[in-house]
Amino acid sequence: MTLDRFDRFHGLLLLLVAGGLVLLLAVAESGGGRSAAGVDKAMEQALDYQARVAFVQKLYGPVEDLRRDGQLQQALLKLDELERRYPGEAHGYILRGEILGEMGVLAEAVASYVAALRLNGDYVDARSPLSRQTEIRQLVDDGLRILGGQARSHPENLSLAAAVKNVHYLQSRLAGGCE
Amino acid sequence: MNLRDCHLWIVIAAGAFLGALGVLLAVWGNPENSGICVSCFIENSAGALGFHENARMQYLRPELIGFVLGAAACAAGFREFRSRGGSAPLPRLVSGIFLMVGCAVFIGCPIKLFLRFTAGDLTAVAGVLGLVAGVWAGLKGLGGGVHLGSSREEGRGSGFLVPGFFLLLLVLFIARPGFLIFSGRGSAAQHAPWLLALGGGALLGALAQRSRFCITGGVRDTLLLGRRSPLLWGLLAFVAAATALNLATGRFHLGLYGQPGAHLDHLWSFLGMALVGWISVLIGGCPFRQLIKAGEGDADAGLVVVGMFIGGALVQSWGIAATAAGVSLVGKAAVLAGCLFVLGATLLFRERAPA
Repeated sequence: MTLDRFDRFHGLLLLLVAGGLVLLLAVAESGGGRSAAGVDKAMEQALDYQARVAFVQKLYGPVEDLRRDGQLQQALLKLDELERRYPGEAHGYILRGEILGEMGVLAEAVASYVAALRLNGDYVDARSPLSRQTEIRQLVDDGLRILGGQARSHPENLSLAAAVKNVHYLQSRLAGGCE
Repeated sequence: MNLRDCHLWIVIAAGAFLGALGVLLAVWGNPENSGICVSCFIENSAGALGFHENARMQYLRPELIGFVLGAAACAAGFREFRSRGGSAPLPRLVSGIFLMVGCAVFIGCPIKLFLRFTAGDLTAVAGVLGLVAGVWAGLKGLGGGVHLGSSREEGRGSGFLVPGFFLLLLVLFIARPGFLIFSGRGSAAQHAPWLLALGGGALLGALAQRSRFCITGGVRDTLLLGRRSPLLWGLLAFVAAATALNLATGRFHLGLYGQPGAHLDHLWSFLGMALVGWISVLIGGCPFRQLIKAGEGDADAGLVVVGMFIGGALVQSWGIAATAAGVSLVGKAAVLAGCLFVLGATLLFRERAPA
């Protein structure tokens, strides 16, 4: 391939622009240009998440207080009230699941955890400050043993079958994988 | 089968390494049963570039970069790098989008389909059947004269653009500028050490370039040639290596329930993978093969890759991607739209014999 004057000129220009780009990036790096760019999406995302966690903990604080005092019915009523104001918030379903679990209503507790995880997978993630991985694992063990046993003895019972399906969903989420 | 055929052994090596690394990358940190999943990796990478907002699916996967650059280096080394393209560009772009739709509804590309299957996930059986049915339908189409056209040599270097883009992604991955987003939680936060991922990806890219190994190609050739097809033996080597390693590492859990990244909507698993198989036959390879061909300078495959990135963003942004809960209404509609697209392409791109 022979290069004429036109090719050589543009080739030289290409090298100059590439050199300029490298120089620009090097100068920006050493002069703190990286932070001056103001685009740090990971930082923004982390800040948003921290703010959300703090907001959720503050919002559901009264429910936690009622629960600690053993006033489980009042806590459930308070959750109903919050659910009307924030219908897409998963944390309420987690708390409802925990309270129902304490009350011994296993199938409903499982259903509430399922509703929460469908809205937000953080609760099954060990890295999240909201993680409920241990509780969900315990619930799955109990669910498979108790609800699974009942469903086997009463195969005609559709609500038991639905409850077992919910347990399997939680089991699958615990197993990980892409989402 | 000719045991003295060097190509056969390269295909078997490619299949075995793909199966082995598919399990090992999960052992080293990738999500369960997703040691290698081209569609999941593209969704993650599209998220890392800011194309979608799912904070749990954002990571620039080095494996993808390795596939393309490994294939490009190998093709250049063996003087097989050729810029070529120009065959039905827009239908290929849209095919890339629908490939991702099919994969997202099943939750995984054809490689992950077999990785799930070899880990004992029985929900993958519907996907295997769907993939075979899709490839069979695609073959019937080819037999009936459906053809997107032949690519031709292009002397203008368009084949360098996709490898160049992935080289840029490698620079971005190392430099970590502020506009890249890497998830701190969720499945994208699970990843193997990046040098292992990049090296493994490059090795597989090079082997796949030499062998032309492809999952849907293996199914296609098996349907056409039976056991005379080298790709069948590559596929069997993949299954054997992945099953052995899943058993050895305690990752084999036979069953329908509680499987990672799986759902019980079997009909939609079947249809999602059928769509992937059908499109793959029409465009000449599965998502993995498209990356390898793009690395070799095939601009047509490069457009499919661009389509897959768009699709990766859309399936997350529009809620098309399935979860363990099942397939959403939007996901089901998207699969049916994909079927309409393939049927339309079958009618429009058919070379009919003169009356």
